[in-house]
Amino acid sequence: MAGTMNEYALLHNYLAVGAMLFSIGLVGFFTRRNMILMFLSTEIMLQGVSLSLVGWSRFYDHFGGQMLVIFIIVVAACEAAVALALIVVLFRQTGSLDIALWQRLREANQPPWQEDQPTPIPEEPVPEWPRLARAGVRPTEPPENADFRDLL
Amino acid sequence: MFGIESLLVVTVVMPLAAAVLTALLGPRLLRSQSHWPTLVALAISLAASLLLVWQVGEESVQAHSARQQEPIPPTHAQPHPLGYERIITLWTWTGSPGPAPASPTGLTRSHRASDASNRHADPLGPRPLIEVALRADPLTAIMLATVTLISFLVAVYSVGYMHGDPGYWRFFSYIALFVFSMCMLVSVSNFLLLYVFWEAVGLCSYLLIGFWYQRPAAAAAGKKAFLVNRVGDFGFTLGVFLLWMTYGTLNFHDVQVGGHTQPGILGQTFLQQPEHYVGGAVGTAIALLLLAGACGKSAQWPLHVWLPDAMEGPTPVSALIHAATMVTAGVYLTARCLPLFLATPVFSDTPVGPLVVACIGGGTALLAALIALTQTDLKRILAYSTISQLGYMFLAVGTGTALGVTAGMFHLFTHAFFKALLFLAAGSVMHALGGVIDLRQFGGLRRHLPWTHTTMLFGCLALAGLFPFAGFWSKDAILVSLSQQEGLVYQVLVGLAMATAFLTAFYTFRAFFLAFYGAERIPEEAGHHVHEGPAWMTVPLVVLAAASLVVGAYFEWTHGFAHFLAQTPSLSLTGLAAEGPRAETLSHQNVAWISTGIVLAGIALAAGVYLGPRSLLEGLTRLSRALGAYQISYGKFFFDPLYQAVVVWPMWLVARLCAWLDHRGIDGAVDGIGNIPRSLGSLFRSLQIGVIPFYALAMILGLLVLLGALMIG
Repeated sequence: MAGTMNEYALLHNYLAVGAMLFSIGLVGFFTRRNMILMFLSTEIMLQGVSLSLVGWSRFYDHFGGQMLVIFIIVVAACEAAVALALIVVLFRQTGSLDIALWQRLREANQPPWQEDQPTPIPEEPVPEWPRLARAGVRPTEPPENADFRDLL
Repeated sequence: MFGIESLLVVTVVMPLAAAVLTALLGPRLLRSQSHWPTLVALAISLAASLLLVWQVGEESVQAHSARQQEPIPPTHAQPHPLGYERIITLWTWTGSPGPAPASPTGLTRSHRASDASNRHADPLGPRPLIEVALRADPLTAIMLATVTLISFLVAVYSVGYMHGDPGYWRFFSYIALFVFSMCMLVSVSNFLLLYVFWEAVGLCSYLLIGFWYQRPAAAAAGKKAFLVNRVGDFGFTLGVFLLWMTYGTLNFHDVQVGGHTQPGILGQTFLQQPEHYVGGAVGTAIALLLLAGACGKSAQWPLHVWLPDAMEGPTPVSALIHAATMVTAGVYLTARCLPLFLATPVFSDTPVGPLVVACIGGGTALLAALIALTQTDLKRILAYSTISQLGYMFLAVGTGTALGVTAGMFHLFTHAFFKALLFLAAGSVMHALGGVIDLRQFGGLRRHLPWTHTTMLFGCLALAGLFPFAGFWSKDAILVSLSQQEGLVYQVLVGLAMATAFLTAFYTFRAFFLAFYGAERIPEEAGHHVHEGPAWMTVPLVVLAAASLVVGAYFEWTHGFAHFLAQTPSLSLTGLAAEGPRAETLSHQNVAWISTGIVLAGIALAAGVYLGPRSLLEGLTRLSRALGAYQISYGKFFFDPLYQAVVVWPMWLVARLCAWLDHRGIDGAVDGIGNIPRSLGSLFRSLQIGVIPFYALAMILGLLVLLGALMIG
């Protein structure tokens, strides 16, 4: 175990960055209603936790924390597969990624917390996406995919 | 030729095979030909049982003559067996051979408690050794022959009567099952198996009464028969328990167990020393409990109420089960267990057991005859006459003498013929009239139904007991056996029996004249053409009519019946068979003259009232109405409302109370406990609003609270 001030400072940096990542993820999870963004927020929280675990691991010179981080990464990968598949299914049900549309999974006889309607998307001018150089004929897309792309 | 064993087994097993075959193949394969298995099986059973009677007769005569020729009186250790019996043990059902009895007479009454060495590893004590054993003796042989003969004729009749019924195969399957159960009932040699088949015939009776189960009346009648029988069977059950407690066995016959003889209740050991039968209160209780079972099955007062309602079943069923065979099981049981009845304490020169049997029989005979006077349903009149005649049989068995039991069994035998005949003739009337059986709706059928008319006349004459029909001889034997008893009670019973004979003649011919004479009335249901049934129906009628004419005279003149039956072990009890007539208050001939005069008077009165001037009938009706006698008789002495008020309503109230307690008390407690978590959960249910970020916030807040608690703690 390293007892020097240098090690303490290093740990503090690790923990500070980890706590910031976790907080960013947490706030994102609370405020976002897009399921993919909520999922990304949880991933950010996981990374914050992983980072602080690595920091403690180095501080105590013990590999338990790092092993745990590797486990977290593996589990997060699996979880990502499951979560994304779930999101795809939910999207097919409603045509939207808004988590508020799934309020109907509340207890019976409870009033809706807010309207079962997706938040209207503000009429913003579609930004000019950077265009890549043409590398062949652009594949024609079915019309129902067009507005889906616009939402992104 | 054929061994007795194989004959007995064939007699019993063939109907079972037919029942199974018909039940399996009937609905799909046999359909309208479903009667063939039953007919063939019953014919084989009939042939086997007649051969069995012949074989048993031969062997019992041989045994009897061998006993007579024995020069040396038997030693005390090995006395001659009484009567003739053959036990056929098929297999062991349950239990193990019990320990050898301690006392030489084999009274095993106390060995369970006292003899430590006899204790089994089984903590419940020794289990009864139940062997599936059949017995062949004269009583069984007579019952088997009666049952198979009547059921064969009824089955033939049913082919015509039940033709086109949607449940045709079901009917024949039930009938075959019934015949199997009845044959087993009369041939088993064990009280437990007797109980089993006692219940089996009750089940068949229930199934066949409710055969047309779409009709609410039929379903209710089946239920009533089953429940009323259950009352009697409860007594029978207790009687069997008491027999096991008292004698330590349930077998009729002696069983050889490891070199020892375990005496059966009706076995040779007991019969040779009848003083070892347990008397006193226990013996009386056994006798009365068995009598309760017999009263239920044989529809004796106070359990007679089910039989008239049982007429809701198809008429062949009424003829077979509720007139000729099943209802005589009570008489059979009483006759079979006569030694147990004789073992009861003596009251005014007669044991109590037979005295009670005789009183119930005599009372029921008169009661049922009085009710039958005013009934308008032809089948119900016949049902009440069945109850009345069964009362006659109980009366005869209740004399407790060999003469009386023989007379009772003889009456059972002849009654089976003429009562089956009467019911089948009534069924023929129903068949012709499209199911109408109410005497107020038809009359004067003589010209339309000549065969039914003639055969029913034979049946009515036999039932009334006119010379030389079968009923005359058996009723005469009963009256003679009664008149030879001493004691005031039996004198009164002779009077009751005579009065019943008069009433029987009257109501029988009342029904007969109303149905076949007078103005011709055809109900609308009959359609335009009233006709006799097919040959399937008329041939059994003719056969039974011929039998009603000759069986009584034949067996009376040859004395075959009495001699044959006397070889039954339990009826050749010491001191019973050898007993001569005790009192000659009325000679045999005088009894015959008196009863004939009474019967003729009854028939003449019926003819005068129902064929004579109408004013006589109206005057008689008005008089009896004014006296209230008509209403009492028509209301069946109000037994049904009485039982409704005394038994059914209190039971109904208790049942409602139990149901209320169950719903409100027990269910309420269980549901209340189940409601506790639900109501607790409802406190937190409002948190479940379906908004995911709110859940996350709640989790974080909870985490913070925990962390805060950790930091403070």
